[in-house]
Amino acid sequence: MHVKKYLLKCLHRLQKGPGYTYKELLVWYCDNTNTHGPKRIIREGPKKKAVWFMLTLLFAGLVCWQWGIFIMTYLKWEVSVALSIGFKTMDFPAVTICNASPFRSSKVQPLLQDLDELMEAVLARILAPTAPHANASRALNATIWNHTPLVFIDERDPHHPEVLDLFGDGHNGSAPGSSCSAQGCKVAIRLCSRNGTVCTFRNFTSATQAVTEWYSLQATNIFSQVSPKDLVAMGYPAERLILACLFGAEPCSYRNFSRIFHPDYGNCYIFNWGMKEKPLPSSNPGAEFGLKLILDIGQQDYVRYLASTAGARLLLHEQRTYPFIKDEGIYAMSGTETSIGVLVDKLERMGKPYSQCTVNGSDVPVDNLYRDYNTSYSIQACIRSCFQSHMIQNCSCGHYLYPLPPGHRYCNTRDFPDWAYCYSTLHMSVTQREACISMCKETCNDTQYKMTISMADWPSESSEDWIFHVLSQERDQSPNITMDREGIVKLNIYFQEFNYRTIEESAANNIVWLLSNLGGQFGFWMGGSVLCLIEFGEIIIDFLWITIIKLVALAKALRQKRTQARYDSPPPTVAELVKAHTNFGFQPDVAGPDPDPDPHPGAYPSEQTLPIPGTPPPKYDSLRLQPLDIIESDSEGDAI
Amino acid sequence: MAPGQKIKAKIKKNLPVRGPQAPTIKELMRWYCLNTNTHGCRRIVVSRGRLRRLLWILFTLTAVCLIFWQCALLVFSFYTVSVSIKVHFQKLDFPAVTICNINPYKYSAVRHLLAELEEDTRQTLKNLYGFSEMTPRRRREAESWGLAQEGRHPRFLNTIPLLLLETGEPGQAREFLTGRKRKVSGKVIHKAADVVQVHDSRKVVGFQLCSNDTSDCVLYNFSSGINAIQEWYKLHYMNIMAQVPQEKKINMSYSAEELLVTCSFDGMSCDARNFTLFHHPMYGNCYTFNSRQNETVSTSMGGSEYGLQVILNINEEEYNPFLVSSTGAKVIVHRQDEYPFIEDVGTEIETAMATSIGMHLTESFKLSEPYSQCTEDGSDVPVENIYKTAYSLQICLHSCFQMKMVEKCGCAQYSQPLPDKASYCNYQQHPNWMYCYYQLHQAFIREELGCQSVCQEACSFKEWALTTSLAQWPSAVSEDWLLSVLAWDQGQPMRKKLNKTDLAKLLIYYKDLNQKSIVESPANSIEMLLSNFGGQLGLWMSCSVVCIIEIIEVFFIDCFSIIARRRWQRAREWWARRTLPAPEATPRAGGQDNPTLDVDDDLPTFTSALRLPPALGAQVPGTPPPKYNTLHLDRSFSAQLKDTQLPPTEV
Repeated sequence: MHVKKYLLKCLHRLQKGPGYTYKELLVWYCDNTNTHGPKRIIREGPKKKAVWFMLTLLFAGLVCWQWGIFIMTYLKWEVSVALSIGFKTMDFPAVTICNASPFRSSKVQPLLQDLDELMEAVLARILAPTAPHANASRALNATIWNHTPLVFIDERDPHHPEVLDLFGDGHNGSAPGSSCSAQGCKVAIRLCSRNGTVCTFRNFTSATQAVTEWYSLQATNIFSQVSPKDLVAMGYPAERLILACLFGAEPCSYRNFSRIFHPDYGNCYIFNWGMKEKPLPSSNPGAEFGLKLILDIGQQDYVRYLASTAGARLLLHEQRTYPFIKDEGIYAMSGTETSIGVLVDKLERMGKPYSQCTVNGSDVPVDNLYRDYNTSYSIQACIRSCFQSHMIQNCSCGHYLYPLPPGHRYCNTRDFPDWAYCYSTLHMSVTQREACISMCKETCNDTQYKMTISMADWPSESSEDWIFHVLSQERDQSPNITMDREGIVKLNIYFQEFNYRTIEESAANNIVWLLSNLGGQFGFWMGGSVLCLIEFGEIIIDFLWITIIKLVALAKALRQKRTQARYDSPPPTVAELVKAHTNFGFQPDVAGPDPDPDPHPGAYPSEQTLPIPGTPPPKYDSLRLQPLDIIESDSEGDAI
Repeated sequence: MAPGQKIKAKIKKNLPVRGPQAPTIKELMRWYCLNTNTHGCRRIVVSRGRLRRLLWILFTLTAVCLIFWQCALLVFSFYTVSVSIKVHFQKLDFPAVTICNINPYKYSAVRHLLAELEEDTRQTLKNLYGFSEMTPRRRREAESWGLAQEGRHPRFLNTIPLLLLETGEPGQAREFLTGRKRKVSGKVIHKAADVVQVHDSRKVVGFQLCSNDTSDCVLYNFSSGINAIQEWYKLHYMNIMAQVPQEKKINMSYSAEELLVTCSFDGMSCDARNFTLFHHPMYGNCYTFNSRQNETVSTSMGGSEYGLQVILNINEEEYNPFLVSSTGAKVIVHRQDEYPFIEDVGTEIETAMATSIGMHLTESFKLSEPYSQCTEDGSDVPVENIYKTAYSLQICLHSCFQMKMVEKCGCAQYSQPLPDKASYCNYQQHPNWMYCYYQLHQAFIREELGCQSVCQEACSFKEWALTTSLAQWPSAVSEDWLLSVLAWDQGQPMRKKLNKTDLAKLLIYYKDLNQKSIVESPANSIEMLLSNFGGQLGLWMSCSVVCIIEIIEVFFIDCFSIIARRRWQRAREWWARRTLPAPEATPRAGGQDNPTLDVDDDLPTFTSALRLPPALGAQVPGTPPPKYNTLHLDRSFSAQLKDTQLPPTEV
């Protein structure tokens, strides 16, 4: 009842409102709108009218279509890029320097003693299988060997490959692989889990790879049980590695480097990391204003089986980022001067919704384990953290090469006998890698250092003598030469003439672009504007009103019909009544003098009190001008 | 009356036919200016005073000009591109990596083919520089110094003699072979002399190439004997090798097992089976890793340990002393379907070193016609691709040259693939191919063959930016055990140890998995152009397509109809004056001819029903709009309008 009342109220309001037909409304709209087409529809003859009607519809369609295209384009969130190249005073990149050998052989020897002996025996076995076992008398560490031994796989019979233990003597006296050459036999690592019940063989096509892999696996096992402090002590100290340092005109020394322990390369030293002090800027291009370093990598002290490549490892990276030196680092050769010209290649991307990048990694569902180093997010850090978390999930211990989450321990054979098997399956699993790649997001700001590397022999033969003397004196206070050509590395790192190339993204299509194109299209086809749209909206509302009024009238008429059907004495005036109801809006002449008794006077007061509801609103001058025509047209329209 | 007709009639009455019924063009213009939607015109008409009107005309015209100018600018700048650079972190396809030894064939295997040539070269060296004994640093197999062939006639020096030219006396040259002077005719071409001014040395070494009739000769000389001898040697070498069948050449070159000692990719071992053979004419057997297009391997981790690691056996003993003077290997990173132009764009690798090559992938996509002159797949380039691989500019240029070579010289050049129905050049079949080749090559370099203009660059390409760094390998302490294990891997006898200068280690890896793509996209689309037009039209004159249609309607259709009408009227009057007795024939035609009045065909029934029939003459123009102040000019139609009314009266 309440609703009905409300609706009635609405109805009354409506009835007061637009008192005209659709057609009238249309004509009025066409005549008064600011869009260019409709006006012409009503101004011309019938043929032209038809033409103009079609044209207007066509143009309206075109406008809608083009608007659709523009809005779709806008929602694609495209970006445009601006490229700038030049020189400016910039923070010098952080420079990380490592030695290719993680530890000094002299310090690490006691730890690796057993392993080295085993390795020597293995090599002797592989190389000279028929030779008598000279080292058999030496006690080899059987626990290391038995856990993950190297085996020969005899593939000379491809259908029945035979697995032979390298030290197994059970084959009627003749050593296994006695007749094996590289073509017939492959060396493999046996990885077992669950107390040696489930085993896999990791095959290698070359013995070099097999023994290298095996040795590093065993060494990892040993180092993971050593405390970090001892590991640092076994590595190269800064004062031994960094002999001379010059930044621009300022002298610097090993004290300007911060140390970081890298599992692969031992002690690494970072210049200008920007962790505690402000990063140093460089305001001039050229080698004179860059960083000059002299390093001694001490090649004679390399761990024999761990570092087959000699040189310094070098990485330029941004301040406050972790150096992933194994992935992105370059080598610097000993006995040479390596000059590196740097161009900072920066990419600044827009975040959401333009691309799927992350600003600081907070929205990545991977716990960043490198956070302990106080470094910012990077995708490498994310992928490694992701791997480590998978490792802990599957093998319940962390891999030595990656940082540990709190409350976990590094893998070693004593506590986690199955870890090597577990690690090797996980490491080779493609699904694991892909899961990590899909989880990690790239950073929005990406900085890369493009390097132009050139090399020359250093020191020259004529200057070699005095240079070595001076350096030996400075480092070891020794009058004798304590270093040689095979250990010394000179590095020059400097900005190139153009030191930055910045690619900056900006939105290709912003809201201003969208609006001006929408306006352009509307203006181009129809000369319209936003106000025209509002006009159109107004007309639509008017249309709805008229429709509602008509519908209500129709419903009422139907009900009346029904009620009158119930009363079986239909008065002769009923037809007129119905007509009055259906046309109450536009039959002022009839409605005014309507003599019919209303069956529901209370329900439709407006019908009668409405003075001339059919009269068009006084604002429409078309109605003013030709009232006669309108009336006539209405009556005709009704007749139809 | 049918409802349709009724509506029609009603509309006609309510919305009477209006239009440019103006009798004169001036009136039409006035009507247009007052009624058009463009903004300037109205001001012209309503302005008072001549100056103002003039000013408004000026403004309007300026606006029109500006619109035209701006729209022209928009049209001309339509075909511009915008570039976007995207970086994706993803699993990347590893490129194909082709590795070649710099030395093409094992010297011990090709020696029997090149013995004579070698002998001649040594003799040349002896004659020119006065030394005879060459002591290679180490060459294990005892070399037989050409004593056995002492009395042999030097064949190659006769074919193309090396000459020592005295700059002081042009046209005079001393032959190495005989030592006697001989006259040299023909133009002298300094190799690279037009690029760098050769310092005025007294003696220049060169060789002469003659066509069949020895009158036409070209002399090539070089500032240094090294270049001359190498070039000369290479010519003969190609000549000899061109006659050797492909299978034999493959057998003479290095096998995959010989070249590759160890190999690992993505932490897994690989071996020679992962490499495919690719025979390059100048580099012999090259081996391509990951060349199969449908089974490309990909990397999901960056860093050197996940890339390709190989140890190569360069085997310096087998080097050809005259053909190659440097030691090492060449490596090239390319797309799987791309031809490796190893001689042009390869990276060289030093022995006894670990060369680590970090890659960065950059993809570029250009827009083809009409934005730029590039080709998508080379199908629209009128040069046959003899390489049978994906199109590239290099391939097109080389193919073009080779086709020209076959066309002009009748044989194909050795260092490029063989086109159909052609054979490699050699002396036996094509005695003067060298002369022809050098002539053609000069023309090619001077862009006279038209290859450079025909060939277009490819629209998309992948580029791997390489960062190369070197380190000492093997390190001093690990050298011992590493070399002996590697020797075991090679399957060599125990006593024979590998030398570290025979080995090279190569690491190729993705530095990170960022893939940078540079994509060109059209800066303008047709809808952008239209909306820019709309913006311009709206800004200067508040105009739209409707206005343009109006202009066409008014200025072209209505103007001409008015002119035609007046002409017709005049003609009719003139006719009426001339032939008074025939007034009936013409009016009818006039009534139907007048396009503006055709619409009024069924008007009489309607008007006569409602309006006063007597006011026929005044009513029919009902067409003119009440707002048009041309109404008062209706009388000008009267003469004619009577005619239009004639048909109904007749009916």
